[in-house]
Amino acid sequence: MPWLIGRSLIRADDFAETLKGVSAARAVMFRRLLLICAGLIVVSVSLFALTAKEPRADFTYVNPSGIHTLDPARMSWTQDFRVALNIWEGLTTWDPKTLTPIEGAALFPPDISPDQLVYTFTIRENARWSNGDSLTAGDFIRGWRRGMEPGTATDYTFLFTDHIVGAAEYVRWRNEAVTLLTATPIDQTGFHESVLTSHGAELDARFDEVGLRAVDIRTLEVRLKRPCPYFLDLAAFPTFLPCHESTELLRERHHGLPITAEGLVVYDPQWTKPNYHRNDYPGLVTNGPYMLSDWTFKRRARFRVNPFYRAAEQIACRTIDMLEYDNISASIMAYETGDVDFLTDMSAPYDHEIARLYRSGERPDFHSCVLSATYFLSFNCVSPMVGGRSNPFVDRRIRKAFTLAVDRERIVENVLKRGDGVAHSFVPPDAIPGYVPPSGLRRDVNEAQRLLAEAGYAHGVGLGPVELLYVPNDERICQALARMWEEVLGIHVELRSQESKTFAEEKANQRFMIARGNWYADYNDPTTFLDCLGTGNGNNDSRYSNPRYDELLAAASLATQPSARAELLRLAESIIVEDDCPILPVLHYAQTLAIKPYVKGLYANARLWFPFRYVTVGRRDQRGSVLER
Amino acid sequence: MTARIIRRIIAGFITVACVYALTFIMVVSIPGNPFQSGARNMPPEAEQALRARYHMDNNWVYFGEFLAGAARLDFGPTFTYNEWTCNQIIASALPVSVLIGFLAILVALMVGVPLGVVGAVRRGGWLDAGGLALVLLGISLPTFVTGTALLTIFALFLRIAPVGGWGALAHLPLPVLTLSLPFVAYIARLTRVGMLDVLGSDFIRTALAKGLRPRTVVWKHALKPALLPVLSYLGPATAQAMTGSFVVEKVFGVPGIGQHFVNAALNRDPGLILSTVLVFAALLVAFNLLIDLVYAWVDPRISGAV
Repeated sequence: MPWLIGRSLIRADDFAETLKGVSAARAVMFRRLLLICAGLIVVSVSLFALTAKEPRADFTYVNPSGIHTLDPARMSWTQDFRVALNIWEGLTTWDPKTLTPIEGAALFPPDISPDQLVYTFTIRENARWSNGDSLTAGDFIRGWRRGMEPGTATDYTFLFTDHIVGAAEYVRWRNEAVTLLTATPIDQTGFHESVLTSHGAELDARFDEVGLRAVDIRTLEVRLKRPCPYFLDLAAFPTFLPCHESTELLRERHHGLPITAEGLVVYDPQWTKPNYHRNDYPGLVTNGPYMLSDWTFKRRARFRVNPFYRAAEQIACRTIDMLEYDNISASIMAYETGDVDFLTDMSAPYDHEIARLYRSGERPDFHSCVLSATYFLSFNCVSPMVGGRSNPFVDRRIRKAFTLAVDRERIVENVLKRGDGVAHSFVPPDAIPGYVPPSGLRRDVNEAQRLLAEAGYAHGVGLGPVELLYVPNDERICQALARMWEEVLGIHVELRSQESKTFAEEKANQRFMIARGNWYADYNDPTTFLDCLGTGNGNNDSRYSNPRYDELLAAASLATQPSARAELLRLAESIIVEDDCPILPVLHYAQTLAIKPYVKGLYANARLWFPFRYVTVGRRDQRGSVLER
Repeated sequence: MTARIIRRIIAGFITVACVYALTFIMVVSIPGNPFQSGARNMPPEAEQALRARYHMDNNWVYFGEFLAGAARLDFGPTFTYNEWTCNQIIASALPVSVLIGFLAILVALMVGVPLGVVGAVRRGGWLDAGGLALVLLGISLPTFVTGTALLTIFALFLRIAPVGGWGALAHLPLPVLTLSLPFVAYIARLTRVGMLDVLGSDFIRTALAKGLRPRTVVWKHALKPALLPVLSYLGPATAQAMTGSFVVEKVFGVPGIGQHFVNAALNRDPGLILSTVLVFAALLVAFNLLIDLVYAWVDPRISGAV
């Protein structure tokens, strides 16, 4: 017998003991155990199979990377905005084709004072919440206040403090109190308690000084610090959405005050869930075309038409499923097999192939648009750098030389091949009506070398290794840029790729020479880009400062004549993209969408704003092909 | 025996506590800010408010508070998913991973053990060679390759399986199969080696000599001692399979817990990192203890070591 070879390793007495182990009782137990295991499998699999499944929704789309938050005061991701703007409705909203502000929950246009400083919105009589309650001016004040209060406010507080009378003062007063209260131990001689009580007592009186007033139940008066030609655009932004009064049931209180011991305004974060009922909370109440009816973590959210929405009966898609796929390729496969009707994002590793299919017309269901967004590099404008090293990029001639050495067309057309727009300016061209950005700097090898020599580094000699900080996704762009600088300027570039959180920290602490950056427009005005480079702006990663630039921005903010204002902004932008070059705009992102041919009413637009209430879906067969329209 | 089990449980608690302390040190020392998300830089005031809110301005306080919460099985909030607590995330993701992992281990046992036995008994034959080739593939092919290949064949070309997702019976086979492949390979190898070892021993010769049929000798007498190495591998393997596989979850869009291990670290989300690590450590300790008990039951010689 061929299998009986080899030396014995187990002694004979081991054998006896082993046989002892196989006693009859144990064999029975063993069999029972097997039976239990088999039973467990049958039960778990059948339980899994029997879980109730709802029929497919009228329309299914994929939200890549899922919902981060549905709290409008906290959100900052496009995917979240998209959901929020379908379940809530602001005073205005955006046209999906032109992106201009159109009527929302209020009559359009509102009453604007001749000096453009007072906007009076009248909320429609038939504007209702999803539980039937009337929408009131107070609901908007509550929602906007959440965008300002420390505890609920995050990234977009500046939209209020920059524009609304008294908001900056209120927020400063609140933040000072929070700083004091967090620094004071609670158990110390009642001091903390007295600070908290006096601060809490003043809260509402102080907030009354902010330029928001409910003239009557349906009339909201907003007083602005300065004329703001894009205010109707802002009024549609998620931070300006209303908030239903039932949310107050989930507000944390401390000794009867509506703030916590730290002075923060805190709500139970689960208030945005439809089936959450702590403290008799009715579950999320919204005022948009849709309402959230079910939300399972990392799987799916289901929306259905809000029966109290003013035009509810005209909405064709009665139910919508939003699926979460962490993996873009999986979502593309789901689209190809017909499980999904719409993909908002196809930025897979083979995105150039997707862009080719779109351009060649082979896939008429693919749509592409250049976004109102810019990918750029920031030069660190502070010297010495953190750690004491001197920073050559304080010299604008060097920044300009680096800018002139770059061939953006090559990056866009030969390296990435996704159909992105070449960026010579910070503000994308054709994105904002009435604004033409400056032409910027084109590639000019001789001028680049001349400027570098003028700065004292002819042929790059003496300019030590230059470090480029980026995130792994940018590998191809950054390698191409480094090659161009090495070829044209003779400079050695060290590539430093950091995973995104580490990158953010390095950038925030100014530990870089050149860092990647990107910016997506929040509203349709050049200032959404240009303000970032103002002195002291929290998003001015370069720490660039030029009094002339600040002056031009300030002058533009006071200009009432649109063409004069545009000209001032254009002058300001020309400083940053033609003279001082604190940033190097590289490209304006393109995004490809996939829309099944039987879906109508979706438009590729620069803000990726997709109001589903206009969508109609024809009939499809099992593989997702259209049967009739 | 009871005293030994109690000692083992106490030792398990100490192990988990050490894992917690080490993870905590890593969480607070890695660079990156859990509150920073998106392209905008968060205003310092907002960050200050959040740190105050979650008592994260003092590491010692946070260490104690998280531990006290964990002792009550309340892992607190996450900073990545505003609306969901760590408990809700684990409650939604762990059963998914446990089901898939449990089925994968079962498939691995059902395929791996016979494959190993046949390989050992017919050593050098074509079944052994075929089995070995499969084992080699299972061990060396990463799951993102096998998973994608299976997905392409069954979902895209044949269209007999969904491309991914969760909630229907049809969502089970492909992820389970993909996850089980490396385990099949290991179990087959361990069984084969153990079997070869046992088949060469005296008691097998005795059994054969007294006239038992080779089939009875192999499946009744040789298999049990040969499976002991498989048994000891089963503890960590089950814990590993049940705590989710990032890759399998990513490929098949399965909402399991594996993704949270990876994403929590990428997002620097301290609560979620600590809670997923604690769950994994506890499962690992528990399964090792369980396997040791089974081991002692199967092979009384080693009960003293438990």
